[in-house]
Amino acid sequence: MHGLVAGFRLELRLVRANPDALIPLVTAPLFAIIFLAIFRQSGRPDLESDALMAPVLMSLWWIALLQAGTMITGDRWQAVLEPMIAAPTTLASVLLGRVASLMCVGLVSFFEVWAAGWLFFGVSIPFEHPGALALTLLATAFAMAGAAVAFAALFVMTRNAYTFINSASFPFYVLGGVLVPVAFLPGWLQPVSSVIFLSWSADLLRASLKEPDVDDFWIRLAVVIVLGVISFAIGRVLLHHILRRMRANGELATA
Amino acid sequence: MNAAATVNVMRHAFHAGLADYRAIFTWRSWLAGWFVRVLFQVSFFALIGERLGDDEKTSYLLVGNAMLVAGLLGIFSLNLTSAERWAGTLPLLVASPSSPILVFSARGAYLVVDGALSAIAALFVAGAIFGIDLPWPRVLAVVPVTFVIALASYGFGTFLAGVVFRFRSINSLVVVTTYVALMAACGVNVPLSYYPEPLELLSRFLPLTNGLLAIRGVFDGAPAAEILGDAALEAAVGIGWMAAALLSFNRLASRGRRDGSLDYGA
Repeated sequence: MHGLVAGFRLELRLVRANPDALIPLVTAPLFAIIFLAIFRQSGRPDLESDALMAPVLMSLWWIALLQAGTMITGDRWQAVLEPMIAAPTTLASVLLGRVASLMCVGLVSFFEVWAAGWLFFGVSIPFEHPGALALTLLATAFAMAGAAVAFAALFVMTRNAYTFINSASFPFYVLGGVLVPVAFLPGWLQPVSSVIFLSWSADLLRASLKEPDVDDFWIRLAVVIVLGVISFAIGRVLLHHILRRMRANGELATA
Repeated sequence: MNAAATVNVMRHAFHAGLADYRAIFTWRSWLAGWFVRVLFQVSFFALIGERLGDDEKTSYLLVGNAMLVAGLLGIFSLNLTSAERWAGTLPLLVASPSSPILVFSARGAYLVVDGALSAIAALFVAGAIFGIDLPWPRVLAVVPVTFVIALASYGFGTFLAGVVFRFRSINSLVVVTTYVALMAACGVNVPLSYYPEPLELLSRFLPLTNGLLAIRGVFDGAPAAEILGDAALEAAVGIGWMAAALLSFNRLASRGRRDGSLDYGA
């Protein structure tokens, strides 16, 4: 628990010292304005709430991918991975604390898009099912953390992680149905989307802002959490093997 | 510095840029990584049109966001100063007898080519996927205009590179914010007339806006004079930003030399 809290605090300090970590918080309101402008100009006010939720998911995904995903690689470059592993607390607990911290920062985007929608278009988030909305956001942040651990493991193994990071934003926004539901994708792509937790999160977020009851809420929420747990488990196993190999070969430091 | 030396410096800088680019991308990673992202980015917005059930809007969004790719790569020139700083070569560059702006303007020129080709490929591939009308042979006029957009954006990016020259920590923030701001303000997703008048006027001084109007003119069958006029305005905007970069870059570099903020440790 100490490791987790220390990791949480450490990441907050790192974010404060590194403005790049806040990029998604700068772009989220801008994306909200862009999406709202498209729907407003097309005379579709019924889609305005969707325009507000998409930037939140995009921000969380971007943070999971770029900030959390490159965490271990960054530690390795800065030669702090060795002392972290040598410390009595587990690396996993520190990592989890740091990722949780980043997800909390990412959730600020929810309030930003709310403010941007209200300021520029007079649109507010319709809290039709506030409980479902809050639980979906929390489950999504949890699943993002799981994905972040998987990314972190993956990127340590890759020579040029940034090429992948640059390429992995919009493909997942499309496949995850972040703004346009998966039903609008070609039939052959839809099975791919169903194993991406973003598509379940996006559908649930949209449904929780609409008036009708949210169908099968608990089952759909469970799918988000289970997919997040699977990502986390894959990342954890990968990390375990990678770190063991690095320790055995003396590769923990990059030099 | 005489003309021959200038050309020589720019030639070497261009080759250094190409070497950088080859270290980042192979044909395979460009196609499977970068181009897939570009296609999905354009498709993301075109799908909004599908969701709206409006073919015209799909086409509008697809064309706008494909051309935005040319702008995006141009803005990436901002990353060049950061890269030099990280490599520890920025102070050497500033101390050398040639102007840093010459080096930067040539070193990132590959971005113009990459940006224009990525945008054109995205337009044609995504256009075919979404079944938008690509009026042949008029559509070929899109090719030179896209290069003008990429050049204008590159000029703008180089100007911004001079402004953020000494502020390493905000470089990426400026790149991403500028790119999303262009997406929001340049008529990419909604017509210029939708914006408040001051923003519409401001957007005319940004890269992409006028070039995109020319591109839309090609698709809408506008008279050649109108298309050429918008393309010329885009070129003028690009020249303006590049001139601003030339005028400001050396002064900003001198200031960095005075306060020691050019070093990668600063």
